Amino acid sequence: MQAMRQSQQVKRLQAIFRDPLLAVVLLLMVFFVTITIVLPLVAMVGESLSPEGLPLFERYLSNPVYQTILMNTLVLGTVVGIVGTLVGFLFAFVQVKLRVPFKRAMHIIALIPVISPPFAVATAAIVLFGRSGTISRGIFGVRYDIYGLDGLTLVMSLSFFTIAYLNLRGMMEALDPALDEAATNLGANKWRIFRTVTLPMLLPGIASSFLLLFVEALADLGNPLVMGGNYEVLATRVYVTIIGLYDTTGAAVLSIILLVPSLTVFLVQRYWINRISVVTVTGKPSGTPQTIDHPLVRWGLFGIVIFICGIIVLIYGTIIHGSFVRVPGVRWDFTLEHFDFVLNGIGAQAMRDTTALSALATPIAGLIGMVIAYLVVRKDFLGRNLLDFSTMMGIAVPGTIIGIGYILMFNSPIMIGDFTLIPKLTGGQGAFGGALAIILVYVIRSAPAALRTGTAALSQIDPSIEEASLSLGADNARTFRRITLPLIRPAFLAGLIYAFARSMTTISAIIFLTTPQTKIMTQQILNEVENGRYGNAFAYCVILIIIVMVAISVLYFIVGARTGAERRLEGGL
Amino acid sequence: MSERSIRLKLEHIVKAFPDRGGGGMVRAVDDISLDIYSGEFLTLLGPSGCGKTTTLRLIAGFELPTEGRILLDGQDITPQPPNKRDMALVFQNYALFPHMSVYDNVAYGLETRRLPRQQIRDKVQASLKQIGLEKLDNRRPNQLSGGQQQRVALARSLVMEPRILLFDEPLSNLDAKLRVQMRSEIHRLQRRLGITSIYVTHDQVEAMALSDRIVVMNKGRIEQIGSPQEIYRYPATRFVADFIGRANFIEDVPCRNTGGGQAQVDLLGKSLNVPIRFEHHAEKVTVLLRPEALVLREDPSLKQVVIDQAMYLGSEVEYVVSIDDRQLVVVEQDPRLSRVYAEGQTVGIDFVAEAVHLLPR
Repeated sequence: MQAMRQSQQVKRLQAIFRDPLLAVVLLLMVFFVTITIVLPLVAMVGESLSPEGLPLFERYLSNPVYQTILMNTLVLGTVVGIVGTLVGFLFAFVQVKLRVPFKRAMHIIALIPVISPPFAVATAAIVLFGRSGTISRGIFGVRYDIYGLDGLTLVMSLSFFTIAYLNLRGMMEALDPALDEAATNLGANKWRIFRTVTLPMLLPGIASSFLLLFVEALADLGNPLVMGGNYEVLATRVYVTIIGLYDTTGAAVLSIILLVPSLTVFLVQRYWINRISVVTVTGKPSGTPQTIDHPLVRWGLFGIVIFICGIIVLIYGTIIHGSFVRVPGVRWDFTLEHFDFVLNGIGAQAMRDTTALSALATPIAGLIGMVIAYLVVRKDFLGRNLLDFSTMMGIAVPGTIIGIGYILMFNSPIMIGDFTLIPKLTGGQGAFGGALAIILVYVIRSAPAALRTGTAALSQIDPSIEEASLSLGADNARTFRRITLPLIRPAFLAGLIYAFARSMTTISAIIFLTTPQTKIMTQQILNEVENGRYGNAFAYCVILIIIVMVAISVLYFIVGARTGAERRLEGGL
Repeated sequence: MSERSIRLKLEHIVKAFPDRGGGGMVRAVDDISLDIYSGEFLTLLGPSGCGKTTTLRLIAGFELPTEGRILLDGQDITPQPPNKRDMALVFQNYALFPHMSVYDNVAYGLETRRLPRQQIRDKVQASLKQIGLEKLDNRRPNQLSGGQQQRVALARSLVMEPRILLFDEPLSNLDAKLRVQMRSEIHRLQRRLGITSIYVTHDQVEAMALSDRIVVMNKGRIEQIGSPQEIYRYPATRFVADFIGRANFIEDVPCRNTGGGQAQVDLLGKSLNVPIRFEHHAEKVTVLLRPEALVLREDPSLKQVVIDQAMYLGSEVEYVVSIDDRQLVVVEQDPRLSRVYAEGQTVGIDFVAEAVHLLPR
């Protein structure tokens, strides 16, 4: 029977190959994902299992220092997961279930951390709440040691809670108000409804938010590097092992240890959470959700959320303000020298390079995401799930691991006989001064998000709309161009925006791949922070945020622009 | 149908799908062979899951048969993708392109064929005129009513002048009144244009109203092929009899073969000769009597029944009566002409002899 099912899938694959273009596209995607994602990971696993690598597992895992690091990592992930999910839940709850003012402003403030460069929040938090912090020392007069778990929890929760917020908000809005009404009708009060209907329905969403944040926290390199102090985690240890000790094998082994919890969470997320999820997002609310009017709940939660918004505004205010003063936190006189440094000095090249590489990677990532989503959702072929899974690995795996995989895989050209299949990519002598490797990493780090939004959007679109196009004589390519892509344009746009923002702000995946020829802003920010030149770092951050915002408007203008047919429609009405 | 040339031929089509959950395979379409003649309106009729939609999708090319061949005008099109088959499908949910105007929706297929602009314009306008939507060509699908959307979907397929027009339950999303209206519109258009049409539905009334021939399907197989009259009056199997219209089955009726395709049966206290349309060996048969073939009359010489339930429906009265431990459904047309019997009342029962149809046990 299994054989028969497989033969059916083989038949489907043959059907795809009857359309040469579809076959070429499919093969291209498989080739791309194999080279850029699968091979580097295989190389890293291979390295860790090598004769030099294997004994390291035992050495690391029995060493108390490393045991502490592992423990630290898991504790940090758990704490950030809980706090971030809680904050995200609060924001979502206030948006959906409460009638309070300033909802729009709160929403926008909650979105800000998405486009913030790494280190920005951490550095600003140090300036505000650190040993000589403006608020901790200046107002309360304490020399607070922010470095460590407490500081990390603060900055990482603030940096990542947006994921939980958007996730849970979508679910809360999708909750059918008829359920609330049914429960009320059966005599339940609001608290009982919340406990017995709302919360259980949201549980999968809460669990998945926690897991997402857990993984983000595990993978994060920027914040622990700046704020960790003595609190060392696996990601920073991997970084030190490479940058300080030049020990790729050791780093590969540590990466595998880091990979285990990340991958476990990814698998749980993929195969369990989705199964137990009872809320289906149809995009068609069947009524207006009931609001909760109890004043204590309403204004209490409102107060907490406003307070958190205040902290976010304060932190980003500090970033902007700090970029215009001589030494943030110490000398407050106005200066433009930081911007001069970034715009006209050493920073100029990094700014140009980063923007150019991100701009190149963005459409590739967006398109690859959409095409793979189309193949995975609409076509049935052998290896479909594998293609989806492999693409998702691009983000499921912590960035540092991708970086090490690239070093191992692409440090020398890949040859088939005398034919160079892939040239040397990494290091100064790599293709385009190492820029190609960085572009590829940008692409594989952001394509999964485009894949997910594309998959979600496609699942919402009735396949018969595409079948109608085929039935009217259009081939797969024309159908994709004229029907599918226009219909999933919002998802495409979201994918592009995410890809650009992610590329501009990523650090962990490219930190081992920057070369003297190719300078990356986030790397430069790290340099400035490590050397205590916070002003320069803030100026970088401000400019980076501006670039991302400009790019978002440009993308809206290009992709969000109406099609000819739509313009004609508007005119006709 | 003047010339009975075969337009489409299905040869031993099998379509197996992987079982849900388990590792097995389910045969959604199980060895179907069928000829569709040029210009005819053929309906695939059956309950959900009978394989009718799968058969249509196999014809359209959206599914590939596991076994068997499909021939269009004598040419094997089995491996051809849907866009290469000269057929147009009208979808259940219309499947209009939501981001295009009515005009662009209808023009889409012609643009794909790269016809000259002017020709496209003429054809689209003629087509929209045909369905009475020429004034709405700038609207978006979501600005149209359900019936209008259905018309656009129809126009979009008709404008292609396909060799075969395919319909996948096109009226099932419309409300009852509109459905009747669209049904007559499809009937009118198809008869006028003479396009070979294959229509899938689970609604037997729709099938009978529209079709030249009906194919009744069950569990992936063909139960019976015939004209609406044949299917209704002389169902070949109990399944067909039950699915088409309402049916009373009177089981274990003694039956004697009297030769010449006739048999003598004893029914409701009467003995009569009826045609028998199947190979008969057994002593007993099942008799099919449609509710409208039964008559209630206050006549003591008839077999007496008790009225269990009487439902007044305006144009008819539906009775459930009991006789010899079994219940029968009786429909009396136009109750103005006779009286309405009360529940609990005892009356005589009679039947129209010509309506008696025998089924194998």
